[in-house]
Amino acid sequence: MRNSVILAALAAAGLVAGTAQAQELAYSQVERGRYLVTAGNCAACHTDMENDGTPFAGGRGLDTPFGVIYSRNLTPDEETGIGLWSRDDFYRAMNEGVNREGQQLYPAFPYTYFTIMPREDVDAVYDYLRTLEPVRAEIPENELPLPLRFRPAVAGWKMLFFEDREFVPDPAQSDAWNRGRYLVDGPTHCGACHTGKNLLGGDREAEYLRGGTLENWFAPNIRGGENGGLAQWEIGDIVEFLRDGRARHTAPMQRMGEVVGLSTQHMTQEDLEAIAIYLKSLNDEPPQAADPITEDRVAAGRSIFFDECAACHAADGSGVPYIFAPLDGSNKLTAEDPSTVIRIILEGAQAVPTEAALGPLAMPAFDWKLSDEQIADVVSYLRQAWSNNAIAVSASDVADMRSYLEEH
Amino acid sequence: MAPVMSRRAALKGLIMTTTALALPGVVLGREYGRGAGVPWEPGAADIPYYGTRDEGFLTEAELTTVRAIAARIIPSDEDGPGAAEADVVTFIDRQLAGFYGRGQHWYMQGPFHEGLSTQGYQSEHPPAQLYRLALPELDTYCDAQYGSRFSSLSEANQDAVLTGLDEEEITFETVSAKTFFDLIVENTIEGFFADPIYGGNRDMIGWRYVGFPGARYDYRDFVGHNGARIDLPPVSLMGGPHWTRQ
Repeated sequence: MRNSVILAALAAAGLVAGTAQAQELAYSQVERGRYLVTAGNCAACHTDMENDGTPFAGGRGLDTPFGVIYSRNLTPDEETGIGLWSRDDFYRAMNEGVNREGQQLYPAFPYTYFTIMPREDVDAVYDYLRTLEPVRAEIPENELPLPLRFRPAVAGWKMLFFEDREFVPDPAQSDAWNRGRYLVDGPTHCGACHTGKNLLGGDREAEYLRGGTLENWFAPNIRGGENGGLAQWEIGDIVEFLRDGRARHTAPMQRMGEVVGLSTQHMTQEDLEAIAIYLKSLNDEPPQAADPITEDRVAAGRSIFFDECAACHAADGSGVPYIFAPLDGSNKLTAEDPSTVIRIILEGAQAVPTEAALGPLAMPAFDWKLSDEQIADVVSYLRQAWSNNAIAVSASDVADMRSYLEEH
Repeated sequence: MAPVMSRRAALKGLIMTTTALALPGVVLGREYGRGAGVPWEPGAADIPYYGTRDEGFLTEAELTTVRAIAARIIPSDEDGPGAAEADVVTFIDRQLAGFYGRGQHWYMQGPFHEGLSTQGYQSEHPPAQLYRLALPELDTYCDAQYGSRFSSLSEANQDAVLTGLDEEEITFETVSAKTFFDLIVENTIEGFFADPIYGGNRDMIGWRYVGFPGARYDYRDFVGHNGARIDLPPVSLMGGPHWTRQ
């Protein structure tokens, strides 16, 4: 590795132009892999974040609706990692969701997205992972109910929800648009969170990037065209959000914060723009009209907002762009599924610190002072205040989230 | 102790200084370098300590006396509500049961001198203990003087006793009667105006009385109000009745 760096440097200096070419390619191949691994945010799932685990050594428990699935060790350790895997083995896992032993992989590993990646990109990822320090790390057994422990069952799931596809560029669209679509649908697998799932955990095509619920967070609608969740975001806003972790409308918090912190802030400007261009091309259906809440709820909700929230978010809902989220027009607030806004009021939120924005802005928790009914009233009021027009939430929605958070 | 610093001490001091200089850099770099180490976790609000109904210090007899004293310090009359309506006694009882009552946030080692009035609380007894020692002495005095305990005296006699404490005409054996009087005056005012979360100022009665809008922290909307009266309902740390559907 170090030799190749030196050789590449020498090659760049034009000293050993001929012989070093193969080495230089290997180096750029590894760097290409590193970039894809970053864009794909492999480290997030394949590192035991909660316990300060070694990067890529796996062991993070992914709390799926079906049970806990532990991520695998991606380091080249021969016994516990993928040290014995060949390029072909790795490609088969990424492309078909089958491991070296021929067993079906659970789609918590998003091969349903990675399948569109061309062989060269997957090989580059493999080449990068081979450069990691091998780490011995035993991975806990998955905690799944009996029928799902039977891996061949996944084959049936795949027949329904998996298609071994290649990425086919749309010649009618720009290169940037096509690059954006490739990134979104492939390596960065945005839909894994942002596309609604059916009861079996498969993507619902009609819900493509319209938002999805995961571990009781609602990943918002990120379609950027007319009526989309990002309709009010410009291309530059999306780029700022992904690159700096701060944007006019909001900042990435708990879950997306991890994505921005580990992944998107390290991506190139061109790629982030490509993602934004693609997202901005996706229109959506107009939202369902909401029945207005009763006057007594408006009065209570408005009072709570004015007394508790307006100091930061401003009485007219305009917030302080880049610092305190404007609530007028917020797609987090008016999301079809109100999980995120209820959750943030209950337990607070922290904007992710990034290279560009070190300050970790936080919103305090209100679970200790606001009742379920009060939170339901303030959320319902805000979802219909100013230009917002979303369906009200009930005290039992809040109670459910409160008991979920107490258990987790 | 030798006035000249030994070489060893100087050396130690030097090490301490350089460590002190070097350490924050390292710690800050690691803990705060990217903000990742700033302590924050979901659902961990810093809730103010305010005690609960179960946490009390005073006995029933003591509560009766304190209630009676507070009711004379801030009386209920045609001008407005007093300590009784504000439930000041509950505030005092909870405070005495907590760190305040134990004097936990003060230097409470000797030597103990009377001190000047500008030097604050100088008693060797933490506030809770001061109450415990002073209250029986007060009743003993009242019993000797008027034939009944303080709470049963007429308002006029109660006022006379309190004035006697204030003007140091009445003294106690174990503690300073004046110190006790000053403390309970202070505590009564605190109980009348402190956030209702702490047990007193019930229904924000003290705030309503003086027109204080409570725990608000943003008046940007009223910057241009040109001196006009701002009528906002008072709000406690735990909110107010206007937060609930009417």
